[in-house]
Amino acid sequence: MSSAPDHHAMNWLIRKLESIARLSDKDRQAIESLPVRIHKLDARQDIVRDGDKPSHCCLIIDGWACRYKLLSQGKRQILSFHIPGDIPDLQSLHIHTMDHSLGTMTKATVAFIPHENLRDLTARHPGIAAILWRDTLIDAGIFREWLVSMGRRSAFEHVAHLFCELYLKLQAVGLAGNYRCPLPVTQADLADALGLTPVHINRVLQEMRGKTLITLRSSTLVIEAWNELLRVSEFDPTYLHLEKRATG
Amino acid sequence: MTLRLQPVRVATDSYDIDGQLVFADGFPAAVLVKLSAYHEDMAGMWFLEAGFGWVDTPNRPTFADLDTAQAWIEQQLADAA
Repeated sequence: MSSAPDHHAMNWLIRKLESIARLSDKDRQAIESLPVRIHKLDARQDIVRDGDKPSHCCLIIDGWACRYKLLSQGKRQILSFHIPGDIPDLQSLHIHTMDHSLGTMTKATVAFIPHENLRDLTARHPGIAAILWRDTLIDAGIFREWLVSMGRRSAFEHVAHLFCELYLKLQAVGLAGNYRCPLPVTQADLADALGLTPVHINRVLQEMRGKTLITLRSSTLVIEAWNELLRVSEFDPTYLHLEKRATG
Repeated sequence: MTLRLQPVRVATDSYDIDGQLVFADGFPAAVLVKLSAYHEDMAGMWFLEAGFGWVDTPNRPTFADLDTAQAWIEQQLADAA
């Protein structure tokens, strides 16, 4: 399949980048002109694997993906969750060998952008290069926050923190509102992401439901008590560095 | 090495309270808890609620029955020797 510009696909990237920075009209047009190859993927399908040397980056257009690392005996650590607008393997532009895997969690549609086109774009548009750099730095900030959660938050606080983070990220790209958001993530996925067991996740969710903090059904999360979730997890959204904008 | 089980109720702060204290050569080596109906497909399975020393692994397995659980605990202790 050959590469061609796809405005619909690039709109997701533009929406994501505009949630963390300002884009000029020229920048927007340049991004829209990037040639891409669209692929539809099944759920739980690898996009790139640990050790691969990809020649393109993957932009998520629909569905969820996760970065993960597998150890012996099937031990999996999910490193981050990714939603439309994310380019989870952007690092492959500058770090040539993958040190983790990227796979879909749900059925997904992705746009592969050849490295040479991305390099050309960043060379000709330093503003875009800066924003992609900013995105990578925010990615690192999210890892730092996950580290704090992993080391110092209780299971309850940890799950609460993740829910707050996911809600805000989804809201920033227009995929959530009114304290409702999609959450097509199994308890095993949550366990692997938070360094907990599915049993602990189950118990925490039960406790949260019992306290009417959340409703979680059919892959939809409803946060019934936003302020309480923020308080319990000591959530400070600074690390997401989301641009404030008038809600539309 | 001999394992001995002692029924015990565990304050897990959840519905899962029926447990077994597992002694290895007289020393408490693990606490197993039976998962309640709340856990749906895992209901009735035994969960490694706590482990000591070589039984204290980051990954907490669930077991179909107590025999499987004890076999696993024995393996952990044997690997340590």
